[in-house]
Amino acid sequence: MAIQYRALDWKLLLAVAALTAIGIGLIYSAHHYSGSELRQGYYLKQIMWFAISLFTAAIVFHIPLKLFDAGSYVFYGISILLLISVLVFGSTRLGATRWFDFGQFSVSPSDIAKLALMLALARFFSYTRGSPLSGRNLAASLIITLVPVALILKQPDLGTSLVFFALMIGAWMWSGLSPGYLALLLSPLVSLIASADTLAWALYFAALLGLIFFLRPGLIFGSITVAINLACGIVTPFVWNSLHNYQRLRILTFLDPGQDPRGAGYQIIQSRISIGSGGLTGKGFLNSTQSRLEFLPERHTDFVFSVLGEEFGFLGSLIVLGLFAFLLFRMVRIALRCRSKFSSYIVFGAATIILFQVFVNIGMTIGITPVTGLPLPFLSYGGTSLVFNWTLIALALAADNAWQEY
Amino acid sequence: MSPQQIHMELRGRVAQGVIALVFILICAGLFRLQIQRHSELLNQSENNRIRVKPIVPKRGVISDRFGTELVGNRPSYAISIVRSELDKYTTIRQLSALIGFDSMLIMARLKKNREPSYLPAVIKRDVEFEKIAILEEQYQKYPGITYDPDRVRRYASGISAQCFTGYVGEVIGQNKFSGEIPVREGSLIGKQGIEKKFDEYLRGREGTRYLEISAKGVVLGDLADRPANPGMSGADLILTIDAELQREAANSFDTFCCGAIVAINPKNGEILAIVSKPDYDANIFSGVIPTDVWDKILNDPRKPLLNRPLDGRYPPASQFKLVTAGALLEEGIVTGETVFEPCRGGWQFGRRWFRCWKSAGHGTENVVRAIAESCDTYFYQAGLKLGIDKLAQYARACGFGAPTGVDLPHENSGLTPNSDTLNRMYPDGWTKALTLNLSIGQGELLVTPLQAAQFFAGLANNGTVFTPHLLKTIIFPDGSRVSPPPQISFMLPFSPKTLKILDQGLLAAVHSEDGTAKGIAVTKYKVGGKTGTAQNPHGENHSWFVGFAPFEDPQIVIVVIVENGGNGSAVAAPMVGALLNFYLKRRTDLAESGVEKERG
Repeated sequence: MAIQYRALDWKLLLAVAALTAIGIGLIYSAHHYSGSELRQGYYLKQIMWFAISLFTAAIVFHIPLKLFDAGSYVFYGISILLLISVLVFGSTRLGATRWFDFGQFSVSPSDIAKLALMLALARFFSYTRGSPLSGRNLAASLIITLVPVALILKQPDLGTSLVFFALMIGAWMWSGLSPGYLALLLSPLVSLIASADTLAWALYFAALLGLIFFLRPGLIFGSITVAINLACGIVTPFVWNSLHNYQRLRILTFLDPGQDPRGAGYQIIQSRISIGSGGLTGKGFLNSTQSRLEFLPERHTDFVFSVLGEEFGFLGSLIVLGLFAFLLFRMVRIALRCRSKFSSYIVFGAATIILFQVFVNIGMTIGITPVTGLPLPFLSYGGTSLVFNWTLIALALAADNAWQEY
Repeated sequence: MSPQQIHMELRGRVAQGVIALVFILICAGLFRLQIQRHSELLNQSENNRIRVKPIVPKRGVISDRFGTELVGNRPSYAISIVRSELDKYTTIRQLSALIGFDSMLIMARLKKNREPSYLPAVIKRDVEFEKIAILEEQYQKYPGITYDPDRVRRYASGISAQCFTGYVGEVIGQNKFSGEIPVREGSLIGKQGIEKKFDEYLRGREGTRYLEISAKGVVLGDLADRPANPGMSGADLILTIDAELQREAANSFDTFCCGAIVAINPKNGEILAIVSKPDYDANIFSGVIPTDVWDKILNDPRKPLLNRPLDGRYPPASQFKLVTAGALLEEGIVTGETVFEPCRGGWQFGRRWFRCWKSAGHGTENVVRAIAESCDTYFYQAGLKLGIDKLAQYARACGFGAPTGVDLPHENSGLTPNSDTLNRMYPDGWTKALTLNLSIGQGELLVTPLQAAQFFAGLANNGTVFTPHLLKTIIFPDGSRVSPPPQISFMLPFSPKTLKILDQGLLAAVHSEDGTAKGIAVTKYKVGGKTGTAQNPHGENHSWFVGFAPFEDPQIVIVVIVENGGNGSAVAAPMVGALLNFYLKRRTDLAESGVEKERG
């Protein structure tokens, strides 16, 4: 198989490189006036990671996709073992056990597991016989997803585990699941939340019945959906009431990692003020007073978008958002024209991961999604995250390159 | 293609639609912040500060079984520093002058706190109101200094309650987690006793206010788009303790320095009183403990910090004869009537004369009399017949050598040596003389007063041992109550027949002519009991007594150990007698008046 460099999607590559470069500029700005030399040097480290990412991407790009295809389940198995061993041998920070420490730097197996799940789901859905959306296949893909999710929840890391669910739902949709049916499949979760209030749940349940009437999914599927929803709505309040207060508190604390007393609310307030103070055109590069973000230790990682919003304003933010949108639309187009099912699933999975992280991270900085600690792809400081995201791009480009032959 | 599947082209559209939707949502959010609310947020950005103010929750109140407060809260003020708002060192010097706290100490406390700099770090708790008034008037002089309503723990004093209430202290060190609920550094959590064991219930949940502060330091009010989270109060606890009995028990030590008392209801394991002497005032831990006070406690040779009822280890002495006797009967080595070689003030074993405490000798006895008169000679022979391993096996089956599972932290297991243990302790070999000593409860054998209480509660309750516990009821802030039912811990390894014989021995010890505890007079009731005199190579012997009453239907078991108190019958036995009298009379009075109801 010859690699056709001329057919390579250079525009896509350029967009990703631009995002990474902008990220380096923002990391530089974030700690420009910081007294600490370590912090001032973050952007240099990120440049080094950029180089490593390009190198890794080049290697991944040249590995035949067939190898990934054949080895996807092995890779998945290895990632599960890594997740187990990090719980046993990993180092604990801020009450979470997520990292293997190698002296100066540390590696989180969650990123490897994301990649592994993406490959495993692609493999699973591209080789299923009959309808990929039979109850059996949906259940099997759910189990493939839940194994790493359970291990990551144990760390605990709710934010990352949500990425896994996004991947699974993305794979379902790429298998052709219609939005209406997706709503039916996810309805028990909504039922679980709505059951906190009887009236809200009753209204929701009526709407669900309407949707079922409209979709006519068949007797078995329809009645199972209704039964599970009824069970969730009626049983949950009883279970909840029978829990001790401290048990409830634990569940709430777990579901809402952004709550104080660790001061997350403060970070959101400051992030919103600094983005808002940027206005239409922003205060200019290095011109942000940073007075708001000065006390956010994560301003070069989780809150890098706040620096962008303050320094480059609405227009600057639109440019970055535009680059992301361009990238994602382009990836969907690649996924559509792939001839092999496996590569199509890979590209779509990569797009799902990037879209979900962009949404959750930027949403957090403007206060429309909860604080989860997910970095902004390509822009946030962080070596593993950058290498991981560039690997996704390399896989997408490789899939595109092979679309004629493989 | 199944009916719910959609066409490939349509999938692409759906995907593009989802992407577009996400970006429209983000753009709308950005538009709202950067265009619509720009001037407002720019003003906030340039002129005002946001201050995070934790709302300290009310820590749960701990009461005795009748609702008498054992641990409560006293309102006070705490002064904190918000490091991100602190601009100059002079402010710290001024604060130091105001509260009389060395500025180096303030700096040290700030340095230790690893929380984000925008969260207030507590510098001093329980500050006098006059000083708060000064801060309030001259707020411009103290940028970055805040004061907040706080609560100081108030512990009942004079009843030696510190051994079970424990105390609270500040969370120190980076990102300390107690249980799974994170706590802010510098906040108070339970460090000992009930305060520690039930911290998750007592603590409640911290709330937060977000205040907007003008450039001049004037508080403008709560931030408009971030309402305060009020937090949640902690749950109140009702303990099984009877505060009046506790007071009586604490006072009964009189001139004696050290020891422990445990009073327990054998029918359910409820601890009615638990005393550790010498005691200390838990209130000193409420604020920052002055170094000299701390050093004095730490270096006190009487070890007031040793929680004697559950962490103190003593030879059980003659009380252990009940285990030996029980094993003897269970193994079928003797019946109630069997007699051994008569006691002539001791017993010849090999080349050594093992003395009985009564040099005149006890003559020929059966097991009941041997218990009642606590004859060492009888039990030397018994121990030899049983062997060390059988003895250890029964001791462990009676709850010795393992924690009782009481709901308090830091419980000791004691020591019940078998031949393996002794081989390790004495690699050069040991003789059967050790077995003889162990069979009368002396030597290497060590038990805690709580284990002794648990064992005798089992004897008083037909062999059923309940887990000793202090928690009666938890009252949550919403008024709901949870009362964990008493748990059966284990059954004594004795048949009803054996138990009956042992109980007869305990009755005879108090009520027969030659009983070792004949002196304790309890009006109206029959009492079962056993003396003990633990040999102490370091000084005067320790004096034990355990008693339960009424004998026919035991309501309470009381264990007393007085360190260096000498003879068991002389010191500890009268104390138990007085406490049994006090409690049984109080029970009758309460039942008759019917006024005071238990709150549990």
